Amino acid sequence: MSVVAKYRQVFLTGIQTSLVYRWNFAIRATFSLLHLVYIFILWGAAYAGQTDIGGFPLAATLTYFVVLLILQFFLSAANDDYEISEEIRNGLINQFLTKPINYFAYRLSLYFSARIVTGVLSLLPFLCILPFIGPKLALPAGEHLAFYAVAAPALLLSAFIQFTIAYCFGMLTFWFLEIQSFIILSLAVEAVLGGQIFPLDLMPPWLYQLSSWLPYYYQMYFPTALLTGRITDLSAALQGLAIQAGWALTLFLLARYLWTRGLRRHTAVGG
Amino acid sequence: MSALLRHLRIWLASIRYSLVRAMMFRGDFLMWALVELFWMSVNVLLVGVIYDHTDSIAGWSKYEMLLLVGTTLLVQRLLMAFFWSNLFELGRNVRSGTFDFFLAQPGWPLFMVSTRKFDLDGLVNVPVALAIVIYAAQRLHLDPSAAQILVYAGLVGCGLILHYATLLAIISLVFWLQSAKGIEGGYFGLTEFSRLPREALRGVAQVVFVYALPVVVVSNVPARLLIHGFEPAMLAWMAGVTVFWLAVAIAVFHAGLRRYSSASS
Repeated sequence: MSVVAKYRQVFLTGIQTSLVYRWNFAIRATFSLLHLVYIFILWGAAYAGQTDIGGFPLAATLTYFVVLLILQFFLSAANDDYEISEEIRNGLINQFLTKPINYFAYRLSLYFSARIVTGVLSLLPFLCILPFIGPKLALPAGEHLAFYAVAAPALLLSAFIQFTIAYCFGMLTFWFLEIQSFIILSLAVEAVLGGQIFPLDLMPPWLYQLSSWLPYYYQMYFPTALLTGRITDLSAALQGLAIQAGWALTLFLLARYLWTRGLRRHTAVGG
Repeated sequence: MSALLRHLRIWLASIRYSLVRAMMFRGDFLMWALVELFWMSVNVLLVGVIYDHTDSIAGWSKYEMLLLVGTTLLVQRLLMAFFWSNLFELGRNVRSGTFDFFLAQPGWPLFMVSTRKFDLDGLVNVPVALAIVIYAAQRLHLDPSAAQILVYAGLVGCGLILHYATLLAIISLVFWLQSAKGIEGGYFGLTEFSRLPREALRGVAQVVFVYALPVVVVSNVPARLLIHGFEPAMLAWMAGVTVFWLAVAIAVFHAGLRRYSSASS
């Protein structure tokens, strides 16, 4: 079996597995609309009496949050860290040690399959409410096409960074019995420094610059800002893309290191 | 009365067990306490960031908003301490069949499900949430009477019951679905609205989230009590919705329980 065929089979199996829980994804996506309603109300009230906040009108800020929410369904590594942790704890990784399959590539294939299912399912409730929220949104004008071209690889790199961070947390199971607290703390940091609570460009400039050198900036905020016109300097966009690629490589190397060191501690017993 | 005392004794025993376990795994406890503290800081940070760019949200000033958010955090920390872990695990227990053990225990199933664990890391952040409320009240130059403070505490208790009812109703959907994975997000989605001033909601949103669902009243009524004083109609409304929604949540749970068939041998 060729390498591509091997992981394609994993991908297809992952699609089937994810579809078993399709109602959970659909319900989760519908509940996420509640968050959107909250955002619209909060920022609508904050914008009352003024035309812009941080140089952006209300429509641009609402568009940012809508795009961010959609991208979260397509990119967030929802349970990969816990699943990897469970496989290590239960010894299920042993099968990967004796077979010609790379565990990172295997989990990455499952990640992509799950993201396609959750992403597509999440679009359904959004399409239903689009006629109602569409007039309140504003995507950048046509001359923004160059930024969309930068956003395409940025989205793929964001997905890779999201997965690799989750993978690294899963690897901590080789050293720690319980990793949930690490993950939840990281989620809190990601929520702030990834622009999920508020657009990072609303922070003081020095804090914004500092955050642009951290990997969280490139998990969600960077591709969202490119797509919604919050980054308007093409050279800054290209610099961001280069930093993002650097973080993707760094995290991949960290993941490989943790796997190699973790296996030295791992004991596989039984037949 | 004897049944009530018996359940109280069971609850105290569960709390004692949970405290001992928390001290056995002090690292875990400290980590979770820090995580909750961080999330609370994120909520306060959002208020700071927004008010860096505006003076008012629906007529609420920065410190009025902070008092509202502090009240929400106070109610949520109490929920995290007493009920969150228990209800969150209900989904997993139903799917794996472990739920059978709750049915076999000598107590009301809902009570046994809801009170098995007590999370000290949630409780240790209650003083932090209270400190946010007190700080905001001081910046607003509020001087609540003893009666106001007492009623505020009662309203926070009502808020806790409402949050419990919301979470219970949502998690009970696991009896109809194969898994609770993802649906607990519904609780967080709904309770976000408790961080909004009532005046910010208009039209359909006002009907749904202020009058139909109890998600805004949870924090707005106690916060308004401190800011504006006694409003009998609001207090009566809070008491009424608390009783109503608790009854609804219990009914949903029991309807799900009737559907439940054991997955274990």
